[in-house]
Amino acid sequence: MTHYVIIGDGISGSSAAETLREEDPEANITVITDEGEPLYNRILIKEHAKGKLPEAPISIHDEGWYEERDIELSLNTHVTSIDTDERIVHTHERDDLEYDKLLVATGGTPTQLPVENSDADGIHHFWTFQDARGIKEHAEQSDRGVIVGAGLLGIDFAAVCGAQGIEADYLMRGDRWWRYALSNEGAEIMHEGMREVGVEPVFDSGVDRFEVDDDGHVVGAVDPNGERYDCDFAGVAIGLSFNTEFLRGAGLEEDNGLVVDEYMQTNVDDVYAAGDITRFYDVLLGEQAQNGSWGSAKEQGRIAAVNMAADDEAEEFEWVSSYSITHFDFPFLSFGHPTLGDEHAERKYSDTEWRRVAFKDGKIVGGVLIGDLSPQSKFKQLMREQREVADQAEVLLNKQVDLDDLE
Amino acid sequence: MNMASSELRSRQRRLEPVESVPPTATVRHVDQLDTETLDYFYDAVENGRALPADGATNLEVGEIIVFNGYVRVERA
Repeated sequence: MTHYVIIGDGISGSSAAETLREEDPEANITVITDEGEPLYNRILIKEHAKGKLPEAPISIHDEGWYEERDIELSLNTHVTSIDTDERIVHTHERDDLEYDKLLVATGGTPTQLPVENSDADGIHHFWTFQDARGIKEHAEQSDRGVIVGAGLLGIDFAAVCGAQGIEADYLMRGDRWWRYALSNEGAEIMHEGMREVGVEPVFDSGVDRFEVDDDGHVVGAVDPNGERYDCDFAGVAIGLSFNTEFLRGAGLEEDNGLVVDEYMQTNVDDVYAAGDITRFYDVLLGEQAQNGSWGSAKEQGRIAAVNMAADDEAEEFEWVSSYSITHFDFPFLSFGHPTLGDEHAERKYSDTEWRRVAFKDGKIVGGVLIGDLSPQSKFKQLMREQREVADQAEVLLNKQVDLDDLE
Repeated sequence: MNMASSELRSRQRRLEPVESVPPTATVRHVDQLDTETLDYFYDAVENGRALPADGATNLEVGEIIVFNGYVRVERA
């Protein structure tokens, strides 16, 4: 009987466990997680931190879900190392586990700012449900905030401040939010959204150090220009560090994440990886890529499980991801890889509508839609079909996109 | 209205804004909708159109979707 061990109970690990049970009804399946609760909806925890969503709807699985499927769930269990020659997982809390096939789906942890007092009380990072509970509790008592990290994760802190009535300064190193994907015109729409909820973007700034009171609680942030910003709440979201320390010596290829092919296989036999931690081969992009979206992680877990159970390269991962920001009055959707590619086309339609499409070798590889999501499925279709359309960008930038207008 | 169109309409869905979420609610984020369902959902939010009948989307009556506001899926 095959023993599958899955490290991580986020959406990719949980999706893999469910698929493995369907594909291999007789197998032993063990899911290990260092968190103290089973799968929850990670993309909804920001709503809890904003004070808009109670805890209960955020949980997805209880422990009974695993029992019903005869999947062993091991909570609060830290994996210390893996012996890929002997096929053993070593943990801190329990006996060694032997595996026939292993899936690593441990995701990442937020990167800490390498500045003075960055671990002070009142400075938050946002990744787990437990983080969200702490942020909510503290935000409800706070008046002044500082936010660091001008990307998709940092803006969640801006939304928390806005919803919780915290006046905040959003300190950005560059001249705009998410400068790798947005031009000034697109970014300004987002900046206006921030201002409307009481968050002021500050450009060419950042944090040089935090200041603390006698109790070690944050009271201010000083930027590299020497400007000081009062705060009793700070949110830091400058990126993720991938949890690969326990893999040291296991022989797995890493490149700011675990390198896998389109079947979610690592370079070591019978070891797979899925979710945020992977640098996967994107068949639509034609190169290795990373993606942190919910749908991508879920599908990677499913694909890994299908191939693990088949003991073959049965199905490849092909996916166009979506990532929405739902904090403001206007919609925002990023799809595919908007920061990659070799050229792009963009257009502003109004003070709340903007669009960018990114191309590589003439094919769409991603984009950003602000204010009007209506062309999203057409752009995703063109991505999946890998049509060369960069020379017809005008059609793609028309307010109403009609694919019949493409040659 | 004939019987068939009446039946179709009764199976259609609409979206109703909600101000608060009870602990017992089923809630999803808009990023959990598939591409086709997102098209229908967005059209319903922006243009007030009814959502198609069961089967065309993976939206369930009673569930709440987190978008720029919170909306509940209701029978039309």
